[in-house]
Amino acid sequence: MSNIAGKAYAMNAVTPMRWYTAWWNRLFFWIAHKRPATTAGLVTLSLIHYARWVIVMPHQFPKLSSDQPQEDVKYAYMIFFSNFNGSWNQYVDSFSSAIPGGLNLFWFGSIKYPKSVPMLPFHRYITSNQIWTDYYYNAYPMASSNDVKSAKKVKDSLLAFIGDSQKAAPEEFMQKYNRLLIDLQHDISQMGPNPVVSLSASAVERNLRKEGVERKELSD
Amino acid sequence: MTTRVDLDDVQGNVVKAYARYGLVVARYVFFHVDVPVAGRKFVADIVPLVTLGTPWKDLSKTPRVGTNIGFTYEGLRHLDTPEVTLHGFPEAFSMGMKARRQIIGDTGPSLYHRWDPVWNNQDDNKQHVHIMVTIDGKEEKDLDSRYQEIQRILAANPGVSQLVGHRGAGGDNLPYQPAAALLSTKDNLGYPGGKEHFGYSDGITTTFFEGCGEDPNLVIGGGKPTGGDPRTPAGWAPLAAGEFILGHPDEAFEYPEAPGPPLFSRNGTFIAYRKLHQNVGSFHSYLDEEGARFPDGKEALAAKFAGRWRNGAPLVSFPTEESANRFVAELAPLQVKVWTQSATPQEKTRFAELSLQLVAFDYRDDTSGARCPFGSHMRRTNPRSALQFGKTNAFAVPGALSNRRRILRRGLPYGQVDDPTRDDGDHGVIMLIVNADLSRQFEFVQQQWMNYGNDFGLANDPDPLLGNHGTNEGRLGGGRMTIEGDVVTNKPPYFCNHMPTFVETRGGDYFFVPSLTCLRTIALGIIDPT
Amino acid sequence: MANKSGNAYALTVLCPILRGVPSDSPAGNSGQTYTTLLRNVLQTLHVNEESPMAKVPNTYLCRFWVLSDVPYQGKPAFLEHLKSDYLVFSSNFHGELEPYLAGMWKALQEDVLAILWHCVGHEAVRDAKSFIEYVKKCQVTTTFFFNGSTDEPLVEQLKNLYLKQEFSRFAFENQGKSASELQEAFRGFVQRTQPTNLDGPTWAPGAYHLDRVEGASK
Repeated sequence: MSNIAGKAYAMNAVTPMRWYTAWWNRLFFWIAHKRPATTAGLVTLSLIHYARWVIVMPHQFPKLSSDQPQEDVKYAYMIFFSNFNGSWNQYVDSFSSAIPGGLNLFWFGSIKYPKSVPMLPFHRYITSNQIWTDYYYNAYPMASSNDVKSAKKVKDSLLAFIGDSQKAAPEEFMQKYNRLLIDLQHDISQMGPNPVVSLSASAVERNLRKEGVERKELSD
Repeated sequence: MTTRVDLDDVQGNVVKAYARYGLVVARYVFFHVDVPVAGRKFVADIVPLVTLGTPWKDLSKTPRVGTNIGFTYEGLRHLDTPEVTLHGFPEAFSMGMKARRQIIGDTGPSLYHRWDPVWNNQDDNKQHVHIMVTIDGKEEKDLDSRYQEIQRILAANPGVSQLVGHRGAGGDNLPYQPAAALLSTKDNLGYPGGKEHFGYSDGITTTFFEGCGEDPNLVIGGGKPTGGDPRTPAGWAPLAAGEFILGHPDEAFEYPEAPGPPLFSRNGTFIAYRKLHQNVGSFHSYLDEEGARFPDGKEALAAKFAGRWRNGAPLVSFPTEESANRFVAELAPLQVKVWTQSATPQEKTRFAELSLQLVAFDYRDDTSGARCPFGSHMRRTNPRSALQFGKTNAFAVPGALSNRRRILRRGLPYGQVDDPTRDDGDHGVIMLIVNADLSRQFEFVQQQWMNYGNDFGLANDPDPLLGNHGTNEGRLGGGRMTIEGDVVTNKPPYFCNHMPTFVETRGGDYFFVPSLTCLRTIALGIIDPT
Repeated sequence: MANKSGNAYALTVLCPILRGVPSDSPAGNSGQTYTTLLRNVLQTLHVNEESPMAKVPNTYLCRFWVLSDVPYQGKPAFLEHLKSDYLVFSSNFHGELEPYLAGMWKALQEDVLAILWHCVGHEAVRDAKSFIEYVKKCQVTTTFFFNGSTDEPLVEQLKNLYLKQEFSRFAFENQGKSASELQEAFRGFVQRTQPTNLDGPTWAPGAYHLDRVEGASK
């Protein structure tokens, strides 16, 4: 069971909250949805592929048969899922330093949430409520969120360039090509495997790999 | 935030870059403890020699020699440090640097089997190096005199042995690692930092933290960015002391994690000691070949790798070779005058103005990297507020992504270049990296910013100078770098391909550098975490 | 709709797991609960390009985990328990829910049934339609979905990544060529990489090797 698939880390956290606080929390999420400036920090951090918050009210746990007992919990539960780049241990500092207000907005209602600053109590709270992923799939383990976004820009620019330079004579072609390069200069670094963020994760990855598949890396 | 640091309890090498005070030669000596009682007595005998962090206000009366001491995890264990205390150390420290090689990229050309023998002398896969004693001095004779004192202490404590096996010009079995600043008179901006073997001026920025006891003006360029004008004091604030010294509030507004009892770790810190060999031949040959093709020439290419011209001028403020040379042509002679105390008041003022330009900048006017590449060494190791990528309202503070990743650099170059066309001479840098949290600071920078590029939008690109570019096969390595063009002048980007590995690790480990109080308790064997 | 951000969909599913020990356990596993057996299935699924999820069209990133109980925060918080365990499936994909689930059923019918065998009400799942109904009964609404990436079809994301990697190589290798040499080389690049052909050379879903990402998909 690893939270890691290539460059992505799967964080799952479950936190309880009072059902009436859950209503306020949902309102704040709704505001965040309507007001993009709320997530400007997250966007600039650029570490996340996709993340979601799911508030499950006490009566909302799926019941599919009469044999299955009805849940009678009193708290609502917020389930947080994130796919981000780097490990939680490595990047908790970046989240806590860069967007403490945003983190507080999303978790304020969770029971015993200690605020996002200082970092250690926040780190402990999330980690103690973290549930490890049993199976994680990433369609592009060699691509970070930056890489995926950058790749779209490369494709779009390439297609525009191809269309624009089709009939160009060589000199004009070269000029347009150079402008394309300037436009894409921050989008053409090569991708490769993730750095080894933890020795236990790397050991799990080795064990899961099929026989005979060698990882092209600089290791002993 | 105001923090009071008891500098007379902190070891001197933590708060002072000794080279700035004229202590420009060093010896790094390593010991193994066979008998705990002897080890503790050895420590007790060293304590009176330990240089403390108390500021040296009178520059005419600075000591001629500095001495400091640090311990690996196994070293602390061999001195009978209690289990509870040992378990309070973070995993990075207890594993030791060699075991962390996958994380920090000491693989391929930097793999431990090529390290100096002193680091490979292990029977049972545990650290063999226990104690590091560093001696810094003004001249060789100062070093030697202190070294002889330590030899006498060693002789008096037969349960401690000195480890040999440092590689140097004299062979593979030197009893200590020597180091010395490269001081030359030609555009020697760096004194007291001097040059390093690739020809770059080094040791220009001083990381500045609250309570460090250094000249308050060094906060400019050395502290953390506030968002104000970086050319003025308003642009900078001191970093929290707890980023570099345990027991003090850090940038996350709390005490950094530390082993107990509190008196054990307070005022102590961690140092990563790394011997970094420089492939001088590969560097010069790559620079010559690629520099001949690079439109702005060889010096400009060297500048793009580092973020500074080799004479020390920062690219972001001096984008052309001509402007950089003009700047240093005025600065260097003034520097000599100031250091030889023959400058007029006017000259001193002008010197101060110019020196400021070396460090008082950020990247706000270079958001496209046209001047200083995103991937250059300086921009990677100390991004200032550049990781906002121009969005000044996105993060809680401008340095949110870099304030917790700062380190203090200590250490000196070692060896000399006899033949600049060869890689295999004895030449490199002894790097001592001071930080309160090895994995959050040193290891993070090493892994995410030196050997990877995602935080800069550069996918997997490593640092051009320090990155692991794989093994050199006929000097064709796997390293690459994009040097940004300029949309304003229509200059296209330039691509450097097949960069070989220029810097290789040849040894090192992680050391705990205790406070004076802690040293005494170690010596007496009275640490009690109950 | 909170489950969507543009064309990206955030599917969150909680399938209640059957309680107790199955009477018809797989050989060698008698006495183990449905939850334990399910965990074993999840943890031994193949990874990367061999993953069954690589066959489900438009899956960006997805995960499985088991919610065994709710976390206790310590006094004065209540101590309470869930009566059942839940299989949590969270998927980020491109497009609408029903086509996605239909695609999953089509590609992975056996794997789906093997997993759902552990869950309440699985007998009702016989075909794509009943599978979709089942999932919808187990679906919980996403309260807030943050899309930090793009919302294009997966095949486009993969083709984009392929082009980024290939163009990066091209740019480095063709520096310094004359204008006509460059133009010629670029024509070759376009012919080889076929930028508008999503079925052409591209990255395979789930591939995690420099020498395994290229190659025709499907």
